[in-house]
Amino acid sequence: MIGNKQRKGIMGTKKAALTAGLACTLLFTACSANSGAGEEASGGSGGEGAKEHVTLKVEVFDRGNSPAGSTITDNYLTKYVQENFGKPNNIDVEYVPVPRSEEVEKLNVLMASGSNVPDIVFTYDPNTFNRYAKQGGLTDVGPLLDEHAPNLKAFLGEEVLGYGKFEGTQFAIPAKRSNVGKYASFIRQDWLDKLGLPVPQTTDELYETLKAFKEKDPGETGGQVIPLGMTIASAQYEPLIWSFIKPVSEEERHTLTQQLGSNDYPTLLPGFKDALQFMNKLYNEGLISKDFGLDKDKKKLGEDVATGKVGFYSEDDINPFYEKGSLDTLQQNVPGAQLASVDVYTNEEGKHAKPMYAPNGMYIMIPKSSERAVEAVKYLEWMATSDNLFHLQNGIEGENYTMVDDIPVAVENPSEEALNRMFNSGDMAIVSNGKQLGSMEKNLKARALQMPKKFLEQVEAAQVIANADVIEPVLMDRPIEAQTKYGTTLLDKFNEMIVKTTMAKPDQFDGIYETMLKDYMASGGQAILDERTAVYKEMQAAN
Amino acid sequence: MGWIVYFRRYWQLYALLALPLAYFIIFKYGPMYGIQIAFKDFNFFQGIAGSEWIGFDAFKEVFAMRDFYLTLRNTLMLNFLDLLVSFPAPLILAIMLYEMKTVWFKKLSQTILYIPHFISWVIIGGIVYQVFGTQSGMINNIITSLGFEAIPFLTDKNDWLVTYLLVGVWQSAGWGTIIYLAALTGINKELFEAAGIDGAGRLKRIWHITLPGLKPTIVVLLIINLGHMVSIGFERPYVIGNLAVREYSDVLSTFVYRIGLESGQYTLATVVGLFQAVVGLVFVLGANYTSKKLTDEGIM
Amino acid sequence: MREHTANRVFDTANFIVLLVSTLICLAPFLHIAAISLSSAGGILSGKVSLLPVDLNVEAYTKVFTDASMIRSLGFTVLLTGLFTVLCMVMTIAMGYPLSKKKLRGRKGFMFVVLITMFFSGGIIPEYILVRNLGLLDSIWALVLPGLINPFYLIILISFFNNIPESLEESAEIDGSSHFRTLVGIMLPLSMPVIATLSLFYAVGRWNGFTDTLMYITSPELYPLQLKLYQLIQNNMITDLLQNEGAQMATVVPESLKAASVIFATVPILIVYPWLQRFFVSGVMLGAVKG
Repeated sequence: MIGNKQRKGIMGTKKAALTAGLACTLLFTACSANSGAGEEASGGSGGEGAKEHVTLKVEVFDRGNSPAGSTITDNYLTKYVQENFGKPNNIDVEYVPVPRSEEVEKLNVLMASGSNVPDIVFTYDPNTFNRYAKQGGLTDVGPLLDEHAPNLKAFLGEEVLGYGKFEGTQFAIPAKRSNVGKYASFIRQDWLDKLGLPVPQTTDELYETLKAFKEKDPGETGGQVIPLGMTIASAQYEPLIWSFIKPVSEEERHTLTQQLGSNDYPTLLPGFKDALQFMNKLYNEGLISKDFGLDKDKKKLGEDVATGKVGFYSEDDINPFYEKGSLDTLQQNVPGAQLASVDVYTNEEGKHAKPMYAPNGMYIMIPKSSERAVEAVKYLEWMATSDNLFHLQNGIEGENYTMVDDIPVAVENPSEEALNRMFNSGDMAIVSNGKQLGSMEKNLKARALQMPKKFLEQVEAAQVIANADVIEPVLMDRPIEAQTKYGTTLLDKFNEMIVKTTMAKPDQFDGIYETMLKDYMASGGQAILDERTAVYKEMQAAN
Repeated sequence: MGWIVYFRRYWQLYALLALPLAYFIIFKYGPMYGIQIAFKDFNFFQGIAGSEWIGFDAFKEVFAMRDFYLTLRNTLMLNFLDLLVSFPAPLILAIMLYEMKTVWFKKLSQTILYIPHFISWVIIGGIVYQVFGTQSGMINNIITSLGFEAIPFLTDKNDWLVTYLLVGVWQSAGWGTIIYLAALTGINKELFEAAGIDGAGRLKRIWHITLPGLKPTIVVLLIINLGHMVSIGFERPYVIGNLAVREYSDVLSTFVYRIGLESGQYTLATVVGLFQAVVGLVFVLGANYTSKKLTDEGIM
Repeated sequence: MREHTANRVFDTANFIVLLVSTLICLAPFLHIAAISLSSAGGILSGKVSLLPVDLNVEAYTKVFTDASMIRSLGFTVLLTGLFTVLCMVMTIAMGYPLSKKKLRGRKGFMFVVLITMFFSGGIIPEYILVRNLGLLDSIWALVLPGLINPFYLIILISFFNNIPESLEESAEIDGSSHFRTLVGIMLPLSMPVIATLSLFYAVGRWNGFTDTLMYITSPELYPLQLKLYQLIQNNMITDLLQNEGAQMATVVPESLKAASVIFATVPILIVYPWLQRFFVSGVMLGAVKG
C-alpha cells in the first residue's frame, strides 16, 4: 500500500533535483512521525487497572510457510487466541514474527536496541538463555508462576521447570517435551533374508553383517553398496559413538561430559577414542559412506537410502517413515525392499546405550523491560489450562481429527482449509514440544498414528527403540560459562575430529587424534573441564 | 583564484554534493559510535552506551586466539589465490566476448555467462557436492569409469583449493565482464581500423589497443581488491568448505560468525571487524599511492 | 594470407572456449529447472540432472496461484525500481563533482567516502538509526540505508575522468552551467557505465535480503528473495524440526523450492539483455574526439 502511494511520487518526476528533494522531505517527515510514536509508547505505561485494554506482544517463528489467505500474524490460530484468551481478559495479543533461521540474531538486536521487544520471547539455544540471564535482562518468573499459573506449573512439573533456572532463579519457563526418545537404527530386512543372515544383535555382529553386505552386494547395486550409511549429523554418528562410551562414576559423568549447545558430547569420556577407531576401521574397509564428512543436511544419505544403496543406518526414530519419505521412495525404486527398525550398537554392559532429549524444549522468557509480565504468564497459563493446548495442537474435531481410543487421529484427506488451519500449530503451542495427551504412552501412540498406516508396525518399533537404554543429559547446578563461550567453536572442532580421524590412514590415526584433541582442549575444552570440575565440587559440598 | 570567484563559478558542484554528503553523514557515520563496542564489555540490556569500558582487553583476547591467526592466514591465502585466478578471469572473458563477431552468439553467451551470479550459495553448495563429490560426484564418476582413482576434490585440502577457485571463477567471471564491456565501449574504433591497415594480428591489437583502453578500470578494480585482502565473503568458504578441509576453509568471516552471532560475543566480533577495517584502509591507501606513482591512475 | 589463417584460428578457439564456458554456466540453471519439473520421488532418488523425471508442472501451478508470491513479485519490482533510480541520482550527483580535479576539498570528500568502505557501526546501531528515523517496516528501510555504494561511486568517477576534458571545457566556455554540462554532455556520453551501475544496484537490491530480515515484519513488504530464503532455509533446519516436534508436513517439497528459485530469478535475468542496448552508444565518444 505504501508502495503504491510512493510510486506516483517517484515515477512522476524525472528531474534529479526533484527526486532528491522528495527523499529529503521524506527523511524529515519520517523523523517527526517517529518522535510522535515514541511519546505514545512511553506514555502508555501508566495505570494498572484490570479494565484497561492492554497489548501483549508475543514472539512467533516465521518459517515463510503461511498458506494463501493467512499470514504468520493473522491466521486461524491467532484469531482463536484472541477470541478465547484476549477478549475475556481485555488483552490484544499481537504477534511479532522472527525469522526462524535468524532467531538469535534478531532477538539480540531487538534486545540491544531496547525497542519492539516482545513481552514473550523464546529460543532453543540454552546459551542464549544463559547469556540473557547472566546479563540481567530477564524477569524472575518464579513469583508470577506461583501467583498466576497453577495449571502451567502442574503441566510442566518440577523437573522441566528446573531447566529454566539460572543460579537458582526461575528466569525462563521451559516448554515440555512430549517424547524424549531420539534415535533408532534401520536395516534392510530383505538383504538379510536374501543372505540368510539373522538381525545383528551386537556391534560385532553388525560389523560381520556389514562386511557381508559389502562382499555379496545383495541389493545388486553394481559395487555402489554403502553397508553403513553415515553423515556428519548427530542422528547418524551419536548412536555409534555413545555405544563405545564406558560406564563411568557419577563424578566422571559430571566433570568429563561437555555440553555444547543443547546436547552432551563425550569428547573426554573413556571410550570415545575407541569409537573413532571403529569409525576409522569402517571407513578404511569401505564400509561407510566415503563423503560422509560433506553430508551435513543428510541429503546424500536420503538419496542413497531411497535408491537402495544403504544396508544399515541410524536416524531420528520415525524419520524414514514419512509419506513420500525415504522408505516410501525406496519401495518405489526397489520393489520388495523392507526396512526394519533395529537396536544394534551395544556397549560394554550389553546395553543399547544412546542419548535422549532433555525433558524440556525451548526456553520461554519475559524480558525485564516488559511491563506485561503478568499478562504474559497469564497467556501461558491459559494455554496450559483445560483443552486450550489440545485445540491449538489438534484443530477442530471432525475436520482435523477424530477421537479413537482417547487419541486424536488425523482425518484422512482433510480439506485444504482444515490443513491450512494448523500450518503453524507447532510454533503457536509454545508451552509444549509435540502433542501432549496426558501420558508418554498416549503421546507416542498419537505420534505413531500421524504416520502412514502401512508403516505403523515399524514406527512403533522405532519409538520403543528410541526410548530404550537412554542416557540422560547431565544437569549441573549452575550454568558453565565456558560452555556458553566456547560451545559453538568446540562443536565445530568435535565434528572436525570425527571427520579427520575417521578419514585418516590407519597408521596416522593416533597422531591425528592426539593433535586434534590438543587443539580441542586449547580452544576451550580444558576451560570447560576445569569449570565443571569446580562446580561439581560445589555440588558435593552443598549436599 | 580567490575563494569568492571560485565559489561563484563552482557553487553548483557543491550543491550537487550536499545531499550525498548528508547521506554519508546520517547513514554511514551516524551509526559509527557502534565501534566503541570493541572497547566495552557489551551487555545486550545496557545497550552500547551503558556497557562498561574495558580498554584493550578484548583486543588482547582476540590476538591470543589460535583460531584468529589461522583464519587470518587462510583469508590472506584464499584472497591472494583469487587475485591470481579470479581477478583476471572476467577481463579475459570480456575481451573474448568483445572479439566475438557473431552478434547473436555474443549476446546469448553474454547473458548466460552471468547466470551463476544469480544462484544463491545454498543452492550452489548442493550442486558443488553433486559435481565434485568423491563417491558419486559427476566428475569422479567419469574418472573412475575410465579406470582412474577418484580425486577427493572436496576433502583433500590442496584439491579443495582448486575447487574453491574454480567455483569462484565460475560464479563471478561472467558478472565481472559487465564492467569491462562497458569500459570497452569507450575505446576509439578508429584505432582498430588504423591497426587493421597496419596488418597487426588480433593478439597484437588486444595487447596494444584493447588492454590499454581498459587500464583505468583494471587499476580501480585492482586497488579496491587489494583493500579487501583481509576481508572475505562469508558464504563461499562456508558453503564450499567442509570439516575435512577446515584447516584451509575456516576464514575470518566464519570465525566472526562463530564468536559473534552464534556465541553472542559482539565485543570480540567488533574487534576483528575493526582490525580488518584498519588493515583494509592501509592497504587501499598504499595501493593507491603506488599506483599513482607507477601508472598515474588511482581512485583518488 | 598468414594473417587470415591466424585470425581464423583465433576466432575458432575463441568460439569454442566461449561455447564451453556458456554451457558450464547454463547447466546448473537447467538442473534447477529440471528439479522444478520433477516428481518428489525422482528428486529424492537423486535421478534428476539436466532433464526432468516424471515431468509435471504442479510446482509452478502452486507458485503462480499463490497470491502472496505474485504480490511479492510486484513489491520487489517496485522496490528495485525505486532503489535503482534513487541510487543512480545520488551516485551521479556525487560522482560528477568528485571527478573534477579542480574541485577544492576533493581529496577530503573522497576520504570521507573511502572510510565507509571499511568502517561501519555494525548491525545494532544501524538498526537503532533506522528505528529512530521511523523507517522500520517500510519500503524506505530497504532503500535509504544503501543509496550510495562507495565502490560504484569510485567506478563512476573513474569513467567520468576518462571523458576528454576538452569536451567539458568547451561547454564551460560556452557559459553552460555545470548542471547543463552534466545532463547535456556527461550523461549521454556515459550511458554504458550508467547502465552498468544501474544493473549493479538493481541486482544487489533484487538479490539482497539480509536487511529485510531485520527491518521488515509485515508480510506485504516481503521481497521475493526473503520468501525464497525462508523456503530454502526450511530445508536446512530439518534436523531441528525433529528437535522441535514440529509436523513434517511443513517441509517444503524440493520441486516447489526450485520453481520458486526460477520464478524469482528470471525477471531480473532479463534486465541485462535489455540494458545491453545502452552499451553501444558510447561509440560516439570516438567520433567527437578532441
